[in-house]
Amino acid sequence: MITVFKHTLSRSRGAILGWGLTLAIIAMIFVPFYDSIAENAEQFQQMIELYPEELMAFFTGGSSFNFTTPEGFLSVEYFSFMPLVIGVFAILAGSGLLAADEERGVLDLVAAHPVSRTALFWGRLWSLVVSLFVILVLGYAGVMIGTTYSLMDLDAVETIIPFASLFAYLLFFTGLSLLLSMWLPSRSSASMVAGIVLVASFLLAGLTQLNDTLAAIEPFLPNVYYQGLGWTDGFKWDWFFILSGFGFLFILLAWWAFLRRDIRVGGEGSFKLPWFRRPQKSLA
Amino acid sequence: MPSTNTAILTQNLTKFYGSFQALHGVDLSVQRGEIFGFLGPNGAGKTTTIRCLLDLIHRDGGEVVVLGVDPAADPVAVRRRVGYMPGELHLDESLTAEALFRYFNELRHGAADWAHVRQLAKRLDLEIQRPIRNLSHGNKQKVGIVQALMHKPELIIMDEPTQGLDPMMQQVVLGLLKELQASGSTVFFSSHIMNEVESIAHRVGIIRDGRIVEVADPKTLGKRSLNRVRIRFQQPVDGAELAKVSGVTLLSQDNGHLVHLQIEGEMDPLIKALAKMPVSDFETERPSLEEAFLAYYDEPEKK
Repeated sequence: MITVFKHTLSRSRGAILGWGLTLAIIAMIFVPFYDSIAENAEQFQQMIELYPEELMAFFTGGSSFNFTTPEGFLSVEYFSFMPLVIGVFAILAGSGLLAADEERGVLDLVAAHPVSRTALFWGRLWSLVVSLFVILVLGYAGVMIGTTYSLMDLDAVETIIPFASLFAYLLFFTGLSLLLSMWLPSRSSASMVAGIVLVASFLLAGLTQLNDTLAAIEPFLPNVYYQGLGWTDGFKWDWFFILSGFGFLFILLAWWAFLRRDIRVGGEGSFKLPWFRRPQKSLA
Repeated sequence: MPSTNTAILTQNLTKFYGSFQALHGVDLSVQRGEIFGFLGPNGAGKTTTIRCLLDLIHRDGGEVVVLGVDPAADPVAVRRRVGYMPGELHLDESLTAEALFRYFNELRHGAADWAHVRQLAKRLDLEIQRPIRNLSHGNKQKVGIVQALMHKPELIIMDEPTQGLDPMMQQVVLGLLKELQASGSTVFFSSHIMNEVESIAHRVGIIRDGRIVEVADPKTLGKRSLNRVRIRFQQPVDGAELAKVSGVTLLSQDNGHLVHLQIEGEMDPLIKALAKMPVSDFETERPSLEEAFLAYYDEPEKK
């Protein structure tokens, strides 16, 4: 498992640097903008209070917040859209963890070596988890570096909270896309379904604040448990465990499926869903 | 229970892909230390059988024992002792050949002797420092061969090992397989090339429609093989006379000057018959393996 872990992590260096630096650079660009907000805090807050109640509810999840505080500013300008940005990476990496190499025909040869499917699965998965962690650490570093040349004053420990919540959120979508890649006929279809869930959750979580009839689905939306807002109120462990717990459950199911399924190669017909298959005659 | 001399044993091996049955009870027995050729047309079940031997796909029925171990029960133990080269070879193109070998060697807990890896690469004229993405198809094939042989496995399973190699390199690979067999390894390989099978295999198994139709030595099968000849005569001859020779079928004739025949089995009777005729040109055409052998198995009365 260690060999698989090291090899996969080594292959992921580009993705880690690319996504991590992107998160860091976005933070370093946005954080100094806070200075102009802080200098005109009263006017900004008055302007925001004039915004339609529905618009504010969509972006703030219904919670009261002050846009002119460092936490309020970061919540809206950075953490509110981070699930979409980095969620795309989690979905692509999760769905491609095994299925990408499988579709390229590379997994067949690797799996023919003396490595168990369990070691192959968990070695690659831990590598992805570490990649996600490092990407978020780089994003966190970007935020903290940004504060060194702006008026923004953040508690370094408290700022870990939204990143920790984002980590759990990413685990959820990594697990979901990985599980889908074990069941659906291709990596792209798994990414597509997980992507639809990601975008729908993002939009519906906002709409539930505007429409009471949507309130019933609120508990089923992953974004509801993401603590990109209100992180100064303390870490919500229950939300963290709900997201990471479901993510882990999906991962366990994906592992179970991987142990039982055939490793696919092109041309065998195993890329088709059972209900899409036409009845075929035996060759005999 | 297979004998200790058995490297591969399958009994009533079945495999379905959904509702499609790919293997209909494959029975195979390969002895340790032999070179076994596995032949069959595309879609016959060669690759499916091979992938069941390594538990890359799970069998749906029957028994499989590889080197005394059931691959479904302990796949890692089987793969540790086997060198495998898939028919559809795909490699991680972001690596150099050397990096790939080192990764695979780590997966084998350092079982390969690095001097042996370099020696194999040298014999195959392979530059292992080059990125795989920059290698030609033939050189990628060589990478596949080296990774399969680098740990001196007890059992070598290769699906079309010489595919894409030039004739000289094909001979080098066949030589390597013979050497490994001489040093005690068992070789199980599939091929479409008749000469290749005849030159190194001790026994040949033919699979068709997911069933083993025959296991025999290559010479016996060679006697059944089909050849085609095109003969040009100086004077017109009656092709029907030639068709009376044992094993000969007249395919076509053009004004008696050009005759196209098919010969099943030995060519000798035809050559003797032609000795009495004014032959100006004689051209043999060896049909593909499928045409040569599988035409035979297409005709139930000949079985």
